[in-house]
Amino acid sequence: MRQLLICVGLSLSLPGVAAPAERSIALTIYNGDLALVQDRRDIDLKEGRQRLEFADVSAQIRPETVTLTAPDVSIVEQNFDFDLLTPAKLMEKAVGQEVTIVRINPATGAQEREQAQVLAANGGVVLRIGQRIEVLRDDGLPVRVIFDKVPDNLRARPTLSVTVVGAHAGTRRATLSYLTPGLSWKADYVALFDEGSGKIDVQGWITLTNSSGTTYENAQTLLVAGSPNEDADAGPYSPYRQVRARPTVPNPGTESGSRERLGDFYLYPLAERTTIANLQTKQVSFMDVHGVPAEHGYEFQNQWLATSDTALSASTVYSFSSSAHGGLGDQLPAGILRFYMRDKRGDPQFIGESRIDHTPMGSTLSLATGDAFDVKVKPIVSKRTRNSTFSWQTDMRYELSNALPRDVVVRVRQSGLWGDTHITAESQKSVRRSADTAEWAVTVPANGTASLTASFESRY
Amino acid sequence: MRARREILAAAFTCIHAAAASAADVTAEPPLDLAVTVYRAPARSGGSIDLDALRGFALVSETRVVRLPAGVSRLRFEGVADGIEAQSVIITGLPPGILEKNRDAKVLSPSSLLAATVDKPVELERTDRKTGQTERVAGMILSDADGGVVFKTAEGIEALRCSGLPETFRFEPGDGPAARPSLSVLVRTPTATTSQVTLSYLSRGFDWAADYSATLSADGRSMALGAWVTLANSNGTAFPSANTQVVAGRVNRETDSVEPLDFGGPILANCWPRGSTSDIPPQLLRFAYAAKATRGMVAAPSAMMGEALQEVMVSAQRNVAEEQLGDLKLYRVPERTTVSSRQSKQVRLLDRSAIPITTVYRASLSADEIRPTFAADRVLRSVNTQANHLGVPLPSGRVAVFAWHDGQRLLLRESNVRDLAVKEELELDMGSAPDVQVAVVHEALQIDSTQAKLLPLLPGVTLRRVRREQMERIQISNARAASIQIELSVDLNDGAEVIRADHPLGSKNGRPVFKLTIPAQRTLILRYQLQYQTLSKSR
Repeated sequence: MRQLLICVGLSLSLPGVAAPAERSIALTIYNGDLALVQDRRDIDLKEGRQRLEFADVSAQIRPETVTLTAPDVSIVEQNFDFDLLTPAKLMEKAVGQEVTIVRINPATGAQEREQAQVLAANGGVVLRIGQRIEVLRDDGLPVRVIFDKVPDNLRARPTLSVTVVGAHAGTRRATLSYLTPGLSWKADYVALFDEGSGKIDVQGWITLTNSSGTTYENAQTLLVAGSPNEDADAGPYSPYRQVRARPTVPNPGTESGSRERLGDFYLYPLAERTTIANLQTKQVSFMDVHGVPAEHGYEFQNQWLATSDTALSASTVYSFSSSAHGGLGDQLPAGILRFYMRDKRGDPQFIGESRIDHTPMGSTLSLATGDAFDVKVKPIVSKRTRNSTFSWQTDMRYELSNALPRDVVVRVRQSGLWGDTHITAESQKSVRRSADTAEWAVTVPANGTASLTASFESRY
Repeated sequence: MRARREILAAAFTCIHAAAASAADVTAEPPLDLAVTVYRAPARSGGSIDLDALRGFALVSETRVVRLPAGVSRLRFEGVADGIEAQSVIITGLPPGILEKNRDAKVLSPSSLLAATVDKPVELERTDRKTGQTERVAGMILSDADGGVVFKTAEGIEALRCSGLPETFRFEPGDGPAARPSLSVLVRTPTATTSQVTLSYLSRGFDWAADYSATLSADGRSMALGAWVTLANSNGTAFPSANTQVVAGRVNRETDSVEPLDFGGPILANCWPRGSTSDIPPQLLRFAYAAKATRGMVAAPSAMMGEALQEVMVSAQRNVAEEQLGDLKLYRVPERTTVSSRQSKQVRLLDRSAIPITTVYRASLSADEIRPTFAADRVLRSVNTQANHLGVPLPSGRVAVFAWHDGQRLLLRESNVRDLAVKEELELDMGSAPDVQVAVVHEALQIDSTQAKLLPLLPGVTLRRVRREQMERIQISNARAASIQIELSVDLNDGAEVIRADHPLGSKNGRPVFKLTIPAQRTLILRYQLQYQTLSKSR
């Protein structure tokens, strides 16, 4: 699989040295819009000082990260020319130089050819023709301007050039490596849930997108589950409490698995070389697991003192494990997991999706896919009483309803307890999941209702 | 249950070599189509907006593919424009899918030009006077920043800077495909013909329920009818499709959208064209206009913004409801064509003689100083079979009609949220100027030795009081019949209603007075609030 291929590269233009290059690209793509490109090619060098141009590098190349290595070659300097060849630049660079102008008589079509010197190109072009000074096309009549050559530094695309000194003439293998944004990847999962057996089938796809402006032909591709950028995932520190999103991984796993690692990142090499075209989205399978047990449950989270006049839908939650024993048996790179379920005719229908983070093997995942139409909770602050100067009593009532023809269990969570709030009375036993949150598992009978009450004593 | 990782055949063949020899195969047009439309996830009530359909659909297409032995690039044509490439699922192909690709680079004047840079091309110049065309062989050197520089045997020139009509003639086959394409690279050991199912999520769909409620003459019951209104703003039509809609909110993650290229014109920006005149030449203005549009990316919703052309109302056969996990799926009874830029209506339900009660409602705030205001009217019923309902009611818009002089006239339009069976159905009828509520803060006492004017309510313990407030509410009814009104009191933390001259109830944790106001009368309600401080007993 590591064999190198004879695939003709796009264009390596060596001024004076016209050699077709044998080329092999290796791409390492990270999650956070970053890729390392290693471009190996055979270059034909003269002895001594010369300039190599690499036009077919990423259009978004970070020039400061470029390194060129080749045997018996020393680098003099690396330049990244981003002055683009446009008509305006062409004219600007022609200031002081001779151009040919061709006047066309609009009535007869007769052409009159003259030599002119460009004096200025500031807001308009000023020409000296013989002893006269003229503004180009001041009268609006057609005039063609013909330039002799394109100035050295102007190009259609930003171009990397490296000035090197070759110790001796001959062909050698050079490696050009650089970082570029514009290439990114994530995982996409398809989970088909079977309600009868309570099992899911999960397929994992690597989705990589290329918007770097360049096509990478026949690249050996390695995907890294992680981002090496320092600021990519660090959120700001805040001493204040924030409303946290519900945790998708209640129990992080401790299994290691057999995937390759790089530092703390997992690696996903693509099995075969592939061409990643510009503006292409490409998907390659990396996981296909069948019959993993999954649990379907309901959750309802209430903020502190939140009360509602209408019943609010509980969240539909699916939980399953990524363990090698009774689970997916793999690490899960970050991405989106889409849930499907078969309708009465047996056709899979979409029932919601959830984002997951990089998840180690052996974890328990708990993913909310949407709202339950038939399972609702109405949270009500039924009473607030002041017990003493710094103590309040809050009586909460949660009215649960279930229009499904089977019993359901809803995990009702009351957050905002902050740690100094005690439950003084409750209609059923709660679990204090954290200082901030209490949870009750309330059974709501089929086509019925249930009520949960709790009294909280808080200080402030 | 060990993960069966699909390790792709790691044979010593390179995809490139394979891809180079890959046979281009186009899947046959769909044999069978299914479209399931989901609502805009952020909308909890109200109807769809035809100019911005923010819902989506799951499209499933059954197609026949004939693959030769070896590696093939299988193309699917005619998929929805709003396809979300990451969601594509292909089933039924022989094992050996190497990769799925979605190419967003599309054919446009600018992409054609970009594809032709550094390639031979013919420049065409037409004489405005004679109409004669001169063709010059050349090469495009650059299309950077919207300006075009080309080279001919004469030298280097810039496109359309001379004031002459100039254009390029491109060769057939230059540039990418006309529309974003979806393809699969697949390896099959033998030639096969298989039936595959392609399913994907696509933007540019939406649906809602549109209810119409008609009140009976006595106002004690209503008839409720509803349409499922679904719409497709994609450029693609789905003929004779099994069509479903799904009610309930499903999670959608905001996701980085795949790269898109909407293409653009050839701008031919030139060098500065200033002149000694201060009237800008016509041409220059065109150049500026072209510049202004550069880089503007049309959002898909803007592209979909064109008014939908037709509204189809199909024959009255109701949709069939079934449970889908925790959602409700409604199946359109017959196959139907979900056309491009069309909205379609299918009957959801028709129920009559649903008993309703009319209640007026007002909420009173202890602190707010509010002059006389009109009460709100709501119609209430419960979604049960006894009330001739008892079916899930998906969210949408409701229009309430009443009969007047033999005509059915519109009273009110309002929103309905998702209602499960046995939930209370409440139709908001807006404010009713015939029922006015006036709030007077009669007295505010800090000293608790006064203000013991009204009888103490049962179950109230007296506490040491810092502040008491006396409220007088005047409710006037200008209608010819008596009315029911619910006055709910919004209390501050620690406040309590301790005395009142009418019975006090409670709803959703708030004190509520439920009163009957006789026809053409004014009723006066007094109540007293107490702000707790320390309780005597503690």
